Amino acid sequence: MKPELFFMLASLLFSIGIVGVVSRRNLFVVYMSIELMLSAISLLLVTFSKVLGTADGAVIALLMIGVIAAEAALFLAIIIHLYRRSRSVDSDAYQGLRQEANDA
Amino acid sequence: MLSLMVVLPFLSALFMAVLYLSMPRLKNQNIYTIIGVGTPAITVLLSLITLFSLMQGESTIYNTLFEWISIGDFNISVAFMADRLSAVMVSFITVIGTLIHIYAAGYMRGDAGYGKFFSYFNLFMGSMLLLVLADNPIMMFVGWELVGLSSYLLIGFYHHDSANITAANKAFILNRVGDFGFIIAIALLFVGLGAGGFTFDAIAANITTLSTEMLSLIGILLFVGAMGKSAQIPLYVWLPDAMAGPTPVSALIHAATMVTAGVYMVARYSFLYVEIPDVGLFIAYVGAASALFAAIIASFQSDIKKILAYSTMSQLGYMFIAVGLGAYSSGIFHVFTHAFFKALLFMGAGAVIIALHHEQNIFKMGALKKSLPLVYVTMFIATLAISGIPPFAGFFSKDAILVSAFSSEHYLIWAMATVTALLTAYYMFRMLFSVFHADVAEEHHLQKLPQSMTAPLVFLAFGSATVGFLGVNEAYGGSAWFNTFLALPDTPLHLSHTAEYLLTALNVALGLSGMVLAYRGFAKVAKPTEANTFVKTLVLNKFYVDEFYTLVIVKPLLVLSRLITNVIDPKLVDGFIGALVEGYRAIAREFTWLQNGKVRYYALQILVGVSVMSTFMLFKLGVL
Amino acid sequence: MLELSLFSILALFMLGGSVAMIINKQPLFSAFGFLVSMLGLAGMFALLDSQFLALAQIMVSVGAIVVVSMLTILTVNAKEKNLPDEPYKYRWIIFSALLVSPLTLLMYKSMTLLHEQFNGIDVVDTKAMGSLLFSQWVLPFEIVSVLLLSAMVGAIVIARKKRTKVQER
Repeated sequence: MKPELFFMLASLLFSIGIVGVVSRRNLFVVYMSIELMLSAISLLLVTFSKVLGTADGAVIALLMIGVIAAEAALFLAIIIHLYRRSRSVDSDAYQGLRQEANDA
Repeated sequence: MLSLMVVLPFLSALFMAVLYLSMPRLKNQNIYTIIGVGTPAITVLLSLITLFSLMQGESTIYNTLFEWISIGDFNISVAFMADRLSAVMVSFITVIGTLIHIYAAGYMRGDAGYGKFFSYFNLFMGSMLLLVLADNPIMMFVGWELVGLSSYLLIGFYHHDSANITAANKAFILNRVGDFGFIIAIALLFVGLGAGGFTFDAIAANITTLSTEMLSLIGILLFVGAMGKSAQIPLYVWLPDAMAGPTPVSALIHAATMVTAGVYMVARYSFLYVEIPDVGLFIAYVGAASALFAAIIASFQSDIKKILAYSTMSQLGYMFIAVGLGAYSSGIFHVFTHAFFKALLFMGAGAVIIALHHEQNIFKMGALKKSLPLVYVTMFIATLAISGIPPFAGFFSKDAILVSAFSSEHYLIWAMATVTALLTAYYMFRMLFSVFHADVAEEHHLQKLPQSMTAPLVFLAFGSATVGFLGVNEAYGGSAWFNTFLALPDTPLHLSHTAEYLLTALNVALGLSGMVLAYRGFAKVAKPTEANTFVKTLVLNKFYVDEFYTLVIVKPLLVLSRLITNVIDPKLVDGFIGALVEGYRAIAREFTWLQNGKVRYYALQILVGVSVMSTFMLFKLGVL
Repeated sequence: MLELSLFSILALFMLGGSVAMIINKQPLFSAFGFLVSMLGLAGMFALLDSQFLALAQIMVSVGAIVVVSMLTILTVNAKEKNLPDEPYKYRWIIFSALLVSPLTLLMYKSMTLLHEQFNGIDVVDTKAMGSLLFSQWVLPFEIVSVLLLSAMVGAIVIARKKRTKVQER
């Protein structure tokens, strides 16, 4: 079992996460893709921890889980709030920063 | 002192203008009278001092105000020069000008624009003095333009009637057409002679270094300017329309002073014109044609001021005959005497117009001999003067011109001038008799005239009667003081005294016959001529020259301007700019999707950037 | 050999789960995919000899995060027709997959060029982690706790209903 396998896996998961963030309009899927990206990085950290023989990487991964939890709470709270405002979980429904093509 | 003479009127004009603008409804208008009439009075004193000092034998007086432009060879100072010619001109300009200012104080009394009027009037005085006292062509041109401006402002003085504005525009535009030639002439002079300093003295000293062709070109172009300013054919059509201005304006500007600027200019450039007698001959022919043409038209006109306008044009023709044929002093002498009696005629006409409540048709006047005796007598003297009846002023000056014309052996010019003399006497007396002698159906109800209007008439009548004696020829025992004083390069006369006497007799006879003809035609019953023959229609309509100009010049220009305004400007110019702007906008619109507010797209843009950089780095790593 | 086969299975879980997650239209099914993926990740942690981390992952990531996500999804309770209509989903996915492939490759290659090897020492056990956590990493530990507190407060503030004044009849 070589580290390269883990590297490959982590990279793939990270990419899948990016694809999910960019392609999907459903806010839940976006949220979960972000979680996936963070998890891939955790995996990478732990792999390096085992490679280098210290436990630092694992500790960081542990702390990251905490951060992930906090972020999850806030993200979902925002989704609830947005849903209350416009009754939709479509990320394309929120276009406040849109630049109108005005002819003024 | 010369600078003072020029600057004072400008300052007073400025002061009065500021006063008028800041307090337009000033109750007491006397401040304008005091400043407006006082300033020319001061200039009279100054000019007479200058004249007398020159008469004592002093040489030309110079006075530099400041240096204006200094670029390489082009050094123009605001400087003044009073040689004998300028001194004489300035004297009568200021004297007659002041008299007319006094007259205007009475004529314009009660008008809402009284202050504005005197501001403009003083502006004119300053400009005319600048023109005459300039010591280099550029300053003379500045004065030339400024008198044109003053003329425009004063013709359009009653600006509520748009016909007056049209007349003012016409005057200014035709003036400008003439100035085109004038400017080119000055430029040519500078190119040829500017290196040695650009004052009149310097040019006069070096004038022979230019070729005859160049000199002829300059001479003709300068005369083109004079054609516009002094209303000769073909740029004369503004003068009759200029009568729309107040009568003092007509008297001062369009009779006594501004229109004579062209003649003055030829006299000033006499050092040039003596080298090119052929151009001078051309000038004389134009003058003769204008004189005759105007006299014919005047014989049929009914408006009193228009008759006088054409008469001015005719007399200006005489002056140009003189200076064209080399008799510069005679031309200036005629300018001098003409100023007196023409100003008088206009002022008298103004008095009659005011007395009859702004009636200007001579056939509606009549039998004013008893009711306006002062005006009658003074105008009678002036009419005698203009008709060349001795011993009044016009006789001496006109006679001198006709003698010069005969002596130059250009008999056609002499013939035209002589016929014009007959016509002059005829139409002037026609006017006089119709206004003062003819019977009327009912009595006129007259308006009382203020003394400020009648007193100057007396002065000018006195002048018209006596100033002729300043220039009596040798043939009659006189010393020709005027001519010798001016010391211009005149062509000497080649006539025996006998021939002179004969010519004089002929002129007097013609003048008297004109008077008699007019008496027979108009002293009892005055009726306008009816347009019942072709010739009469032609002349009554002033030979349709205005209509011709409108058709050939004005209308095509209007069509062209309309074309440019409606088609070329919006489509080509605006369209081109608009296309640039619109094109830019269209491109920008294409890029608006980059900022459509959707987070997904922003993430995509980040991804694109990251992707590009990763590819680049992969290349660097050597993997790809 | 055993490890390799375990790795393969777990990797399959993870990849399958994540792909399912990004493809599904219904958010609940995406959540299930996510769950499977997280479980796979926990297995990976165990395979890498961090048992504590594996358990923590299951407890937090699966037991808390996935549960809360599903809770929110069910609370929102969007009907099928209210879900966003994504006509070009697959095109977007393929396009972004293409865009992201250089990045993936870069990540993989840059790490493999380091030529690392696993050393066999089993140092990532609970005791080692604990000693590190409370000595070297105690400050980040405390900060994370504060972060969790503020996140909790923030979530409540963001998600609560606006108080509306009720008119007394």
